[in-house]
Amino acid sequence: MYSTSEMKLYRWAELKRGIRDAFPVIIGLVPLALVLGAQASKKGMSTVEVSLMTALNYAGGSEFAAIELWSSPPNIAVIVAMTFLINSRHIVMGATLAPLLKHLPFRKTLPALFFMCDESWAMGVADARGSSRFQPFSFHYYLGVALLLWFNWVAFTSLGALIGPALTDIRAWGFDMAFPAVFLVLLRGMWKGLKFALPWLVSLLIACGSWLWLPQGWFVPTGALGGLLVAYLLGGDR
Amino acid sequence: MISFDVALTIALMGLATYSTRLIGFLAIHKLALNARATRVMEAAPGCVLITVIAPRFVAGNMGELLALAITMLAAIRFSLLPTVMISVISTGLVRHLWG
Repeated sequence: MYSTSEMKLYRWAELKRGIRDAFPVIIGLVPLALVLGAQASKKGMSTVEVSLMTALNYAGGSEFAAIELWSSPPNIAVIVAMTFLINSRHIVMGATLAPLLKHLPFRKTLPALFFMCDESWAMGVADARGSSRFQPFSFHYYLGVALLLWFNWVAFTSLGALIGPALTDIRAWGFDMAFPAVFLVLLRGMWKGLKFALPWLVSLLIACGSWLWLPQGWFVPTGALGGLLVAYLLGGDR
Repeated sequence: MISFDVALTIALMGLATYSTRLIGFLAIHKLALNARATRVMEAAPGCVLITVIAPRFVAGNMGELLALAITMLAAIRFSLLPTVMISVISTGLVRHLWG
């Protein structure tokens, strides 16, 4: 058994490890946050409104979509439905965290889930799965990543709204490719051979087709569910 | 500073998004997963990640595809920070060359 002070030290070390690992992700997030804030202010949102949206909603894809659809007054039903659709992938993500977090009480896990985004979730899961030895999910590592990314997102979307539309050209610089880069590195970490990756390939193909031929936003649920269906069908013969 | 319509929209967006974060977690919580369900859960992270970036594979011109190919090669070879730097720099260069 460990003493309480040893546990505290360990948790603090894990929190710091998460914060340190999140820095490469921030390279991609900062320019994106600035662009989002700038575009929102161009559409007539005040800086306070931008801060409030990115702090309370905290899901970049749906925020870009909301700004795209923004009008004065906003069409609330369309924006909220779109938000749910784009963020429906969180349902699958939350489900994968459930077995990893079941030793923790709701008073810890439910607030922690508020800060779950693609990057914090993927890094937490990859940290637990990636190593060859058995390593349980590190809650404090996840918190370190998640809290830094949340703070960074709110701060830089607000800054983008403050300094305004002069920033919109930043997208031409290449920073947005940081996301595929982060996700591809995480995918490589989860790679366990071709057969295991077959559902991913199906997800990719269905998402591409949906993006090309279905209305905006649908590629997220169709791609994710298509891959899961294949994983389910393959599940019998291990 | 903030209008009622905007505050309401933001509050409902926040609720919709937080509900997506809770639904799956609460549905699976403390459920014993059989082999098939475990297989689905193992595949899920990759399915979600590849889905989110899928538009990159079909949205752009040849320059964007070249940048994506460089990023993929870097991701196979390097860790997170070098991959991100190689990816951002090569994408910026490719975009300036392609105009």
